[in-house]
Amino acid sequence: MAPAVLLVTVFLLVPFVWTIYRSFFSDSRTSGFSWFGNYTRFVSDPALSRSIVNTAMWVVGTVLLPLVLGLAIACMTNATRWSRLARLCVVLPYALSGSAVAVVWNFMLTTDGAVNQVLTTLGLGSLAHGWLLTWPGNTLVMILANAWQATGVAVILFLVGLQSIPPETLEAGALDGAGSWQQFRHIVLPQLRPISIIVIGMSLVNGLKSFDLIWVLTQGGPGRATETLAVSMYNETFLELRPGAGAAIAVVLTVIVLAASWLYLRRQLDVKGE
Amino acid sequence: MSASGRTRRAAVPLARRRFLAGMAAGAATLAVEGCARGDSTSAQPGTTSISNDNATWDEGYRSAGRELKKITGYALRPLSNPSVTSYQQVVQMTLQTSKATDLVKWASGYQLKRLARAGGLTDLTKVWGNYAAKGWVRGSAREAMSYHGKVYGVPLYESYYVLFYSKPVFQRLGLSAPGSWAELLHCAEVLKGNKITPFLASQVGGWPAIEWFQELVTKVDPRFYQRLVAGQASYTDDAARQAMNIWYDFMRKGWMTSPDFDQARGPGALKAGTVGMFLHGTWQAQGMTAAGMKADVDYGAFILPTVRPSTPKSVIAESGVFTVPSRASSHEAAMANVGAWLDPSVQRVWSDFLEDSSANPTVRSSNPVVARLQLDIAREQRIPLVRYWEASPPSLIQGNADDLGGFMAGQTSPATTLRRMQERAQDEWAAWRRDEA
Repeated sequence: MAPAVLLVTVFLLVPFVWTIYRSFFSDSRTSGFSWFGNYTRFVSDPALSRSIVNTAMWVVGTVLLPLVLGLAIACMTNATRWSRLARLCVVLPYALSGSAVAVVWNFMLTTDGAVNQVLTTLGLGSLAHGWLLTWPGNTLVMILANAWQATGVAVILFLVGLQSIPPETLEAGALDGAGSWQQFRHIVLPQLRPISIIVIGMSLVNGLKSFDLIWVLTQGGPGRATETLAVSMYNETFLELRPGAGAAIAVVLTVIVLAASWLYLRRQLDVKGE
Repeated sequence: MSASGRTRRAAVPLARRRFLAGMAAGAATLAVEGCARGDSTSAQPGTTSISNDNATWDEGYRSAGRELKKITGYALRPLSNPSVTSYQQVVQMTLQTSKATDLVKWASGYQLKRLARAGGLTDLTKVWGNYAAKGWVRGSAREAMSYHGKVYGVPLYESYYVLFYSKPVFQRLGLSAPGSWAELLHCAEVLKGNKITPFLASQVGGWPAIEWFQELVTKVDPRFYQRLVAGQASYTDDAARQAMNIWYDFMRKGWMTSPDFDQARGPGALKAGTVGMFLHGTWQAQGMTAAGMKADVDYGAFILPTVRPSTPKSVIAESGVFTVPSRASSHEAAMANVGAWLDPSVQRVWSDFLEDSSANPTVRSSNPVVARLQLDIAREQRIPLVRYWEASPPSLIQGNADDLGGFMAGQTSPATTLRRMQERAQDEWAAWRRDEA
């Protein structure tokens, strides 16, 4: 126990406390105490305001898409003849790193990339445009790219959940005259609740800390339009050379992640009575 | 039996604890030793280590190092960190420790001033003086290597911003390298008419967004550019507005590639004939060769003409520097090597490797395209200008590069972009001057 506590203290708590401390100091050469000066930039800097909007979009997208798609794919591929192949296709992207996924999508989404070439070939050239250049479209396509990768793990979890549902419950429903939709709505879905809690919880945190895909695809650009809080934190600290501002973003992001996770899990676990 | 069983049960956690404790002690010892002195930066007889952020240059350093060794007795040992961002962090942190490398590759101008201001760099004013006496450095480069009058860097190379073009494509379309603004526009119109995008422009990676800005502003008024980057003129002044309007007009006419076009594909695009002209540093000559293009046969290069014939001619120069940390592991060896770096015999090898222009003006590039540019710059007495990236405080440049990237993507108009750049300039110059005070 003691070594674990020591390690957590040294590698997690001390840097976190130091980050909070640093966020109250300015980024001038002398780094004077500036109270909440770094935090007021959330109001005065349009790039940070946009970053918060983008982060919210990422959270909604990374929660909804893997949840809905994961559940749909798991239900469709559970116990069908081609289910193994279908599952493999969906799960495979999950094994790739975020950076590798970004490289693949970069090949697809640049103005002279694969998507626009296909559209032009199909006579839909008017739809072709710079997918990564205009906001909010660029953020939306990156959320889709992320969902392409993240859905795999949701599928695995939902399949585990589906296979743990006792067949007797479905048979009883069928004997009572319940149709497929009714069985899904009233028998399957309630029994998948614990899995859904895990999928949503994981997606929530992943959405809030999304970084690698964005960094490789756009580096938060053009013009800082696609930054999320995690990217802004990196940008301010290492590129704009403002460690105080970066620390303030890190603190805000941490508070949001902790608050969202705590509120969500507390509510879900309370409902379940655990 | 029960007793022996208890003994066995008690022995297992004890053994595990010992094992874990042993592992922890071993790891701690390794960590402490590693922190105390990394192998890579420790002094090694007959060599000096160089921190470098471009691993493709390692072989060039080794070749130049062999020539250096003949003069100083010390070769070069490159230590590369290809991530520019982490490289900068590592260098800035290690400068304050005993793990600093002997030589550090860094950018000139305000990037160097910022590093020098933090302390930890050796004063190289005497080394510069020796070079100047031999005519091995350009006097105009001194300011970009200095902080508060003292020199802290020795030029590593000197590249010029030029437009590379495909000779076979120009020949096929009956074009030649333009010598005036009107000829440039004619080339662009002909290329566009033949479904070739006239100019490569990119904001991929952030910094390339500055390239067309600096180029157009300097070709509208180079003296204004000098005042602008020194914080003595406004981004909303006429010259800047004129440059941005030209850029905007080029984009509107479809003369520029999409801003998400990666410059790494530039040489390939020139070779394939899908792009007509590629604005970049002459260090790109190496990339042209890698793409299978031969200098003066497959590609040529010219400096962007001035917008008006009466405008003084200028050229944007980029110069990396070698700095010597005060706490370099082999400080004496590092000073010897930095003092011989610009020796023509060393520069011959280095310039041949880069296929670029040497920082020593007596060394002519072996690349015929670059050599002709060197002659043109000397003959025309072009005003040498510091690249925008190094010409003002780093935070200002980084923010403005973001704004220019947004402009390229159509997020903001020329006027709005310039207004934002000016607002940032006021804040960042005030911060820089406050820090200096």
